[in-house]
Amino acid sequence: MSERHAGVSRRTFVTGAAAAAGATWLARDPRRAAAQTKATITYWNGLTGADGKVMDELIDQFTKETGIKIEQQRIPWADLYAKLQVSVPAGEGPDLALIHTVEVPHFASDGVLEVIDESAMSSRGFRAADYLPATWQGGIFEGKRYSVALDVPQHVLYLNVKVMKEAGLVGADGRPKVPASREELVQMAKQMAKSDTFGFGIGTVAPGRYTWGFHNLLWQNGANVFTADLKRSALAEPAAVEVADFWASLFGQKIAPPSNASCRDAFIAGKLGMWIAGSWNFTGLREAKVDFTAAPLPRLFKQPVVWSMPHQFTFPKPKGADATKRDAAWTHIRWMTDHVADWTLKAGQISASRKAHADPRITADPVLRVLMSQGASWQVGQPTPRWVAAENLTRPVIESIYIGQKPARAAMEDLARQINALPV
Amino acid sequence: MARRRGLTAYGFLAPGLLLFAAFRVYPLLDGLRLSFTNARLGRPAQAFVGLANYERLLEDTRFHVSLWNTLFYTVASTLPILAIPLLLAVALNRGSMRTVLRGAFFFPFTLSVVTVGLTWLWLLDPVVGPFNYYFGWLVGPGRSWLSEPGTAMWVIIATTVWWVAGYYLVIYLAGLQDIPRDLYESAALDGAGAIRSFWAITLPLLRPVLLFVFVTHIIGSFQIFGQVFILTQGGPGDSTRTVVQHLYETAFQNFFAFGAASAMAWVLFAIILAFSLLQFRLLRGHTEL
Repeated sequence: MSERHAGVSRRTFVTGAAAAAGATWLARDPRRAAAQTKATITYWNGLTGADGKVMDELIDQFTKETGIKIEQQRIPWADLYAKLQVSVPAGEGPDLALIHTVEVPHFASDGVLEVIDESAMSSRGFRAADYLPATWQGGIFEGKRYSVALDVPQHVLYLNVKVMKEAGLVGADGRPKVPASREELVQMAKQMAKSDTFGFGIGTVAPGRYTWGFHNLLWQNGANVFTADLKRSALAEPAAVEVADFWASLFGQKIAPPSNASCRDAFIAGKLGMWIAGSWNFTGLREAKVDFTAAPLPRLFKQPVVWSMPHQFTFPKPKGADATKRDAAWTHIRWMTDHVADWTLKAGQISASRKAHADPRITADPVLRVLMSQGASWQVGQPTPRWVAAENLTRPVIESIYIGQKPARAAMEDLARQINALPV
Repeated sequence: MARRRGLTAYGFLAPGLLLFAAFRVYPLLDGLRLSFTNARLGRPAQAFVGLANYERLLEDTRFHVSLWNTLFYTVASTLPILAIPLLLAVALNRGSMRTVLRGAFFFPFTLSVVTVGLTWLWLLDPVVGPFNYYFGWLVGPGRSWLSEPGTAMWVIIATTVWWVAGYYLVIYLAGLQDIPRDLYESAALDGAGAIRSFWAITLPLLRPVLLFVFVTHIIGSFQIFGQVFILTQGGPGDSTRTVVQHLYETAFQNFFAFGAASAMAWVLFAIILAFSLLQFRLLRGHTEL
């Protein structure tokens, strides 16, 4: 597996370098730049963290190279989605928006997003072969494409060297031991647990209600929120209940922090040993000078699936067609895809396009290398408009399970009923 | 002549009335209309569904839980909200440090609910928060205050008292200033101590102010949202979920179901209206002292 990956990397490096060189040449072509000088597009995204500053820098560079101006609106994700839902039908939406993969189906089914013609993709050099299936398929809903993936926020296992060293879980080489199974993870976590130190946590803040972590465990056990035909909830099935039982045992056995603790703060403060959390955390850990390593997500159930949630470029439906603006938006997507290595290096998110994966600056980074090695295991949410609403219903239920307020099986059966009652 | 004067008055009132009609009355009535439809934000087509949204509320167990939690919060928070600022007001009515202390107690109210929520969230963090650190030092092992069903709502109440006490303190102080000083002097001559004066003079004469605080607090309590949303998001489980949070999530997170959310809003409106009428009826005779 790793050899095959290395082979792909070499090949993609050569093609990637060629594409990047080509794009740079195109961007510097004065005629092309002049033709687009006047275009100004509006762009909404939810990059409110440090990644927003990186995006600003890249957009400045893009404007310098292409003459296309971008007016950005940066809105917290939850508000961004409500705003798109209101403004697009009123004809006040942006020319370009960045959204999470699981938002695509409900926006598509509500007619908020424009369908992207596959020929428009191929004519601009976007090919399925350049993407892993999870990212490429994430833009497709009911056979039609609505989005193009930029990057792949995903889970990874962070190991706190200080905490693990104190528990004697560091090898002779100074590297923390990585659990190979659920049993081993629990046993190691117990070894680290003290009154205010926890062995294992999942989720950035509020681990008890961290649906993305719960989904990850479901997927590892071959379970999911909906059945394969997406008609009913599958959360009352035995594989899902087994995950819920494990969820209850985390806090029940006192190996994981309380439901509303900040795992990130606990990890930084040296009070959390093993931490499954989003890839977006690692640049912050470095800034906080935490002694940590990252490892691929361990296989805790049947398969080593890694939760991922690609950011997707989409075109909200405009009031009237404006070919110049649409072309300018495409130019930006193409440009970002060609410069995505800079995005990865500064914002810490692995690109959806595989072309940048072989960039030597990226492969030299130990954490980015781990994130890329998980590519074959990436999985995304199911393509149903009910996904986000189901997730909102899941949050309080898994918290009740986590703190032992409700028994796992009964809570999951109730959750499945609630999800089945959602409007179709 | 009188008729003309009336018209002139309405002429002056017209701009205000127009704005009131456009931004208050129309949304209110349109909300009522929406509550009888299956309206969803962003979907132009909507159909009349009769009382279906209201009927669904009868079966919506999470709505029932939210309603119960809201009632619990309202009842449990009333006494501390009435009493603590009153005690502070009496203590700060005189004394050398009163200006500084009044400022200090009023300060939290100048903060937005998000700032208050985030500050307390950090203070009460079960692993790295300073509250548990000192609690463990002085009392015993700390707890996860916001993620235990038995304590979460009480923490929200305590946070709210901390936040709004300064506001009610100022209102009480204004009321205290209105009580004639000679009443206390006469009482002192008759041999009344501080406690006797409080019960016999301060409290009865503050009754209109107490009524104002009581009514505004009850109305505000039924609409509690911000503190809960930041501190617990309704958790653990649904232990602190309130009606407005349920309404917000129905309207802006789960399918943007404006019809169903409007029905909830009208039910909440009816409850608040009923409580307000009840309060006015019960206390009407006592306010005209």
